[in-house]
Order: sequence, then C-alpha cells, then structure tokens
Amino acid sequence: MRVFGIFEVSASALEAQRQRMNVIASNMANVHSTRTEEGGPYRRKDVVFSALPLTADPGVLEGVKVVDIAADSTPLRTVYDPGHPDADKDGNVSMPNVNVLEEMVNMMMAYRAYEASVSAFSMSKTMFLKTLELGR
Amino acid sequence: MGNGFQILERLLQATKIRHGVIVSNIANADTPDYKAKDVKFEQLLTGEIMNLRRTSPRHIAAYEAGPSGSVTAETTNHWEDRNNVELDMEVAKMTENSLLYQAAIHLLSTNMRMFKNALRRQT
Repeated sequence: MRVFGIFEVSASALEAQRQRMNVIASNMANVHSTRTEEGGPYRRKDVVFSALPLTADPGVLEGVKVVDIAADSTPLRTVYDPGHPDADKDGNVSMPNVNVLEEMVNMMMAYRAYEASVSAFSMSKTMFLKTLELGR
Repeated sequence: MGNGFQILERLLQATKIRHGVIVSNIANADTPDYKAKDVKFEQLLTGEIMNLRRTSPRHIAAYEAGPSGSVTAETTNHWEDRNNVELDMEVAKMTENSLLYQAAIHLLSTNMRMFKNALRRQT
C-alpha cells in the first residue's frame, strides 16, 4: 500500500468538487446567455464523477475523478420578449435551461462534500503525525 | 513478551485500512453507483489475537480472517444515483476510528516506555 495514498484520495475529491463548483459557477453566470460559440443559447453543464481505484486490492482506497462534463439535454426555456435581439418571429426567445435554485442546491452539496474531504485530510494528517511520535 | 506489541500492531493495521476505506467513501459521496464500504473489525482482530484454549465446544472459536477479505460493501438503501454514502455517518466513523488509532499509538508508546524503563533499572 502506498504510504500517502490516503492523501491522494482526499486530494482527488477536493479537485473533483472544485471542478464541480467551477461548472456550477459557469451555469449561474450564463443564466441569460442566448448566444454561445457552438451557436444557440447556453445549455447547463453537469460534471460526471467516477470512482478511481488506487490500490490493486479493490475497495480499499478509491479516489474520485471527473470523467465528463456533460451538457444537460432538458428543453430550453421559452420567454416572450419581442424586444430581444434573438427573438423569433412570434417574439419568443429561447433561454438557457439553467435553474438558479437547482444550481444553488448543487453548490451547497459540493461545498459540504468539499468540507468533509478537508476534514478527512486533516484527520489523516493528525494520524500520521501521531505515528511519528511513536517511541518518543 | 511481544504479545502486547503484536495486538497493537494488528490494531494499527486494521484502523489504518479502515481509515482509508472511510476516506474513500467520503471522496465518493457524490459518485453515481458507488457503494459505501467498511471494514469488519471483529473478524480482522479475532483472527490472531484470540488464541485462547477452548474448554467447551460451545465457546466461540477464534477464526482466521485476513484484512483483504474484510472490506465489505454496505447494502443499505440508496439515493437516487444508486449511491449509499451517508456523509455524516462517515465523518462520525472517521472520528471514532481515528481516536482508536491514536489510542493504539499511545498504548504502544507506553509499552515501549515500560520496556525501556525495565532495561534501565537492570544496572
């Protein structure tokens, strides 16, 4: 078993949750973006997590990694706004399928998971330092 | 003489493995299809510590169990994404396990100090 494997697990979780936070921030920033480089309104993105085994023995140490940042395929919101430059003939505008409330909840969940991994990390550190005191 | 050391060594190994398993659970709290795992401690420890003579066949035998065979996935009901990690439970388990680890370290240090003392008094 790798000596610092436990720290790798926590670090991978911190990185994954931070990436998730970035995606959530992008979603919230683009809640009204009707134009994107790919064309059309912005579609909300979601991170996809996958467990990443770090030991040959399965299930003992498993980190986490972001395997994909997928676009949400739920339908776009249609808003009646004839004055908008991207409005169609009937005055309807397609708005991004971002729900701010949903993003807020996701953000809180990511934050909690991040916090838990930070405390896991510091607890591992305490245990390691305690081991170094052995025999003193 | 060395028995106390052996017991504590086993305990340290067991708690260390369990810590890794719990940290993995916390890391994968939001991973779809991930199942929370745990180490069955009693199995791990009774394997070698309880080397007791049995005077009755109804006594429970000390059975052998290696650390590799003791990591089990929990089968409790799960969230929408088929993940069954409960973050608060895992943090509680982690704290408890860490205290056990530190207690073992403390006892091991005390053991060592006792032997050191004994050696010093010999002259």
